[in-house]
Amino acid sequence: MEKHNTFRQEDNILIHTRILNAPRELVWEVWTNPEHIKEWWGPDGFTLTTKSMTVKAGDVWDFVMHGMGRDWDNKIEYAEVKKPSLLSYKHTGEKSDDYNFTVTILFEEVEGKTLLTMKSVFKSKAIIDELNRQVNAIEGGKQTLNRLVDYVKTLVNQ
Amino acid sequence: MTQTRDVFQAIADPTRRQIIGMLAQKSLNVNTIAKEFDITRQAVSLHVQFLSDCGLIEIKQQGRERYCEAKLERLNEVTDWVNQYRKYWDHKFNSLDTYLAKIQKKKK
Repeated sequence: MEKHNTFRQEDNILIHTRILNAPRELVWEVWTNPEHIKEWWGPDGFTLTTKSMTVKAGDVWDFVMHGMGRDWDNKIEYAEVKKPSLLSYKHTGEKSDDYNFTVTILFEEVEGKTLLTMKSVFKSKAIIDELNRQVNAIEGGKQTLNRLVDYVKTLVNQ
Repeated sequence: MTQTRDVFQAIADPTRRQIIGMLAQKSLNVNTIAKEFDITRQAVSLHVQFLSDCGLIEIKQQGRERYCEAKLERLNEVTDWVNQYRKYWDHKFNSLDTYLAKIQKKKK
């Protein structure tokens, strides 16, 4: 089953595949029911409160993440909903619209299990490159880290 | 088993980042590392263990001393956003799989 767990980038799209050991209807349920989604969504150590969730194209999942000493408002807008095989939503962040991206999840049945294909589509490849550069440039600690990585690269290239 | 500690957690902490920085230059034993910090030797030892669990350093016994050596190649995992995103979702899919197993067990 390992071969089903893949990741790749195709231009402006990031594609994850993953096999889950559960029937498709159940996997759909844990993505679309607030009681289930709070059990696994979000960074480790965070809790989640759903304000509202209507899984229909054009409707939203409005939720708050609690962690690192504060609340983080989140909104996900559903773009396409085909139970139980396709779910697509748009992430809207605090940054400009350029950084928003659309996620499409395909749920397929494979020998009683579920093959998940998650595609994250960005406005352009340039946006992904820019995000990469920004992460590389984040404050002091990361700077140290980058120096370390550069150092390692010089060692490798010798 | 699912690896619960990863490189991102390792570098989230300033003390651990500093330890990595020290070890990047040369291997050191835990006592030498501890002298550089105002926190207790035990606390430093826990950070060292954490880094070891993440695979960022390797602890080698040399006589009575335990030497720590940096495994910097693992840091390459965190160099860009795409890799962070990949790691984040790999980890979330593990959580999801674990949760699915739990609720299916309950049903039976």
